[in-house]
Amino acid sequence: MAEATLLQVANLTLSLKTREGEIVPVRDVSFSLGRGEAVGLVGESGSGKTLTGLSLLGLFPPGSKVDGGRISFDGEDLLTLPESRLRAIRGQKISMIFQEPQSALNPVLTVETQIREIYRSHTSLSSTEIGERILEGLRAAGLPDPLTVSRSYPHQLSGGMRQRVMIAMALSLDPLLVIADEPTTALDPTVALQILALLARIRKRSGQSLLFISHDLSHVRRVSDRVLLMYAGRIVEEAPSGRFFSRGPRHPYGRALLASRPEGGILTRKEAPLAAIGGQVPPLWDLPTGCSFAPRCGRADTLCTTTLPLWSGGEGERVFCHHPDESPLGAPVHAA
Amino acid sequence: MLPDAPTLPLLAAEGLSREFDLPGGGLFSRKRRLEAVSEVSFSIGRREVLGLVGESGSGKTTIGRMVMRLLPPTRGRILFDGVDLTALSGRALRAQRRRFQMVFQDPYASLNPRMRVREIVEEPLLVHGIDPDPSSRRERVARLLERVGLSSRDMERLPREFSGGGRQRVGIARAIACGPELLVADEPIASLDLSMGAQIINLFSSLVETEAMSLLFISHDIPMVRYLSDRVAVLYRGRIVESGPAAAVLDAPRHPYTRLLADGTLPEAESPLSPASSPEPGTAGLCAFLPRCDRALSACRLTPPPRLSEGGTREVLCHLPQGESSWSPLHPFSQGLPTHVPATPSR
Repeated sequence: MAEATLLQVANLTLSLKTREGEIVPVRDVSFSLGRGEAVGLVGESGSGKTLTGLSLLGLFPPGSKVDGGRISFDGEDLLTLPESRLRAIRGQKISMIFQEPQSALNPVLTVETQIREIYRSHTSLSSTEIGERILEGLRAAGLPDPLTVSRSYPHQLSGGMRQRVMIAMALSLDPLLVIADEPTTALDPTVALQILALLARIRKRSGQSLLFISHDLSHVRRVSDRVLLMYAGRIVEEAPSGRFFSRGPRHPYGRALLASRPEGGILTRKEAPLAAIGGQVPPLWDLPTGCSFAPRCGRADTLCTTTLPLWSGGEGERVFCHHPDESPLGAPVHAA
Repeated sequence: MLPDAPTLPLLAAEGLSREFDLPGGGLFSRKRRLEAVSEVSFSIGRREVLGLVGESGSGKTTIGRMVMRLLPPTRGRILFDGVDLTALSGRALRAQRRRFQMVFQDPYASLNPRMRVREIVEEPLLVHGIDPDPSSRRERVARLLERVGLSSRDMERLPREFSGGGRQRVGIARAIACGPELLVADEPIASLDLSMGAQIINLFSSLVETEAMSLLFISHDIPMVRYLSDRVAVLYRGRIVESGPAAAVLDAPRHPYTRLLADGTLPEAESPLSPASSPEPGTAGLCAFLPRCDRALSACRLTPPPRLSEGGTREVLCHLPQGESSWSPLHPFSQGLPTHVPATPSR
């Protein structure tokens, strides 16, 4: 496992100046990603999952700063690299698929012009070779008529087709790591499932690593080998996907998330109310002492509200909780 | 319970259609029109939740807006408690309006950012002249806020001081302020976080159970629709292709499109004739799902699909529905189709 590690994030902490004061949206985040492995990063809005993903590209929002930690990727420390080297890594070794292809694509350029630009700035291929690669890439992304698509402007394509174009762009330089940030959220359910299947197939064929960032547990289950659960800026659980979804998460927050969906076991409103998590995610400028989830947690006691938990478990399967839930899930969890 | 005749549904949509003009079409060329909703009929009983599912562009939002009388139908009627809403206007319509209210998808866009929560919730009370006395109106607003899980201390706050879930609660408090009998909720949890979504769904559920409200729940979230709805109608390109009890329809779909939605097993490639490029709905009345269907028969290319009924509770618009049941055509003469459809084993 050790020599197959592609990415190692250790104790990454980011702070950000906001109107409400300085907040720490990413706190002491550590995880690794193997070559060819797909990891799902799950959390609600404000959990820090998107910022974690962006930091792997060396992209930090204005007002933010790295307060500590290391990101080693394919033998290089991303946090100390000069911008010129980072720019070469972006696209070539790490690429990103965004949630909204409408806003990530340039509306006044054709698809071909936009992909051509990637090849021009990173390779020395001839114009004809680039043209061939573009069509090949679009076809591999499941677009049956690549020539027409390549000559289209983004607004002439459907949402699903635009997301396929984004995927083709992200894969054009055959990167080692693809970060997909909520790639299915803006899509219709049937289209979303097709995109998930496409991501899985591409990864199987070309062996890319995938960091799949999503709030949709059923989608994470479909594509990930391993799950990282984030809450209020911290990773609170890591587990193999099969364990997480079949035997159940050990962190009470993960449990509660699964139970708040009807797939968690309660199937109609006549049976029982959904097991909604009470309260809401605490604002990052006003985090409680101790465990951030304690105020909403059914298992919390005075230890939880006063003292930060410690990690228990080991590499690949660990939980950040004083009282992890070891019981098996009551009812089987169906993928949506 | 209300003393109404049990056979009269609270809401009945009959043959609703809505066309929109497409851009283009000059002085001499014919204007092109898109039929976004075609011949849609459904009913909602008292205390009943009807789930309306479909992809974007299926017409589900257009139907919600027509039911709310925010958009006039091109054809068809909407009977609310026996009264044809499409024939009402002015004062008569306003008098009915307090009986049906809408909850919108985006709680950020549907609340006036300059109004305090108290003003937002009491506005419909003022419009309809309910509780003209300021102090009792204030008490009513406080009760409404508590009903939706907020507190009377939230009255003087502004929408931006709430999270998405909190704003959606304010939107629901406004919608139920006048004690409506029907709520229309268009993707009410699509923009909310998971834990907030479950709280809002539980709130709808309790409004239906304890205040005897009816709900038209428009959503693309199939498991949530199955959870909350008594019955479900599946829309594809402006037509209802299948309807019936929610659990029965979504657990054992009859229409190939419902099956696609419900079990999520799909071909991974973009079909060459995906919705974006398939013919306009209603082209010669043929099945709009034909280009995506893996079961299509030659009959599907020649005649419009029949609307078939199963056991009086389920309907499907298909030449070859799945399942073992025997189907009977609802309109044998108007459709001119075989009265017997061979049963086919489900795959």
